[in-house]
Amino acid sequence: MGTHHYDPTQHPEVRQGTALRYVLATVISAGAMVAAYYVAMSKPPLVTLLEELAGTLLVALLAQAALYFGLDISRAQIWKSVSLVLTLPLFIISIGITVWAFSSLYGRTMPDPAIMSSMAM
Amino acid sequence: MHSEKPILTAKTALWAYEGEEHDFISTRTFGFWLYLLSDALIFAGLFASYAVMDNPMSAFGHPLADGLLSASRGLEQTFIVLGSVFAVSIGSLGLKSGNKGLVLGGLAVGGLLGALFIWFGVSDMLAMAAAGNGPLESGYLSCLYTLLITHALHMGFGLLWILAMFIHIARWGLDAMNTARLLCLRMFWQFQASVWVIVYVYVYLFGGAH
Repeated sequence: MGTHHYDPTQHPEVRQGTALRYVLATVISAGAMVAAYYVAMSKPPLVTLLEELAGTLLVALLAQAALYFGLDISRAQIWKSVSLVLTLPLFIISIGITVWAFSSLYGRTMPDPAIMSSMAM
Repeated sequence: MHSEKPILTAKTALWAYEGEEHDFISTRTFGFWLYLLSDALIFAGLFASYAVMDNPMSAFGHPLADGLLSASRGLEQTFIVLGSVFAVSIGSLGLKSGNKGLVLGGLAVGGLLGALFIWFGVSDMLAMAAAGNGPLESGYLSCLYTLLITHALHMGFGLLWILAMFIHIARWGLDAMNTARLLCLRMFWQFQASVWVIVYVYVYLFGGAH
């Protein structure tokens, strides 16, 4: 293990955090979730619901990435930002392709629940 | 430009005799960040499984999210987990000035709110199971419990980590090693808030409203 001869209080990741950043991240995230709650309670059509919930989620996650995690292109954080950008497509594609594949499969193979319930009567 | 002294002498070192040391703290925080990204992919698998099972056929006669989970209670949990992350993050500002009291205070408040969050989650799951909707009743319920328990386990291990940091800080103070540990703990705790907002929007709100 290497020795650590420098002052840890001067490390860029220690210096980076500020109270204002954390207040903003918390307020924006909480506000986005309250907005999402009211969107869901208003029971809009499915596509509208999906778009508006995705929008509020994106706002919350971007605020957290920039303000909680402090991701930017500075020398101290650049590789965290790059690795996140490289991982996000895997995250989205792994969920998206699975959902798309199974919804297509269900449409072709699964009985319609409405027909099943009418047969049971 | 001319120099008074020759550049090369018999004592000039042409190479470094010791390897250049990597940044002690950054190597740890970056390695931990890569772990968090891999953890995010575990959650991606759980979200994908949940999405596949989120239909009446897989629920096997049991209710889906709209009949099981309360969006308003989920919002309370969201506020609690954000409050907890805020407390730990503010506490970490004590690292700048070596303020041990601020660090420990932030960890204590964050840990208490984290424990409250877990209690909310566990009591909800126990109530669902008591109502006949346990994890073994259907594929949908198995996926729902797995997703919620995986997140709660992360929070639980975070609480253990917070307790361990009390001992580390009491013994060694805010040295470089403990600073690296605290920065990783802060990232881990913030990551739990990121995962939770996805769970809340996807399971509680989207699942509960369609």
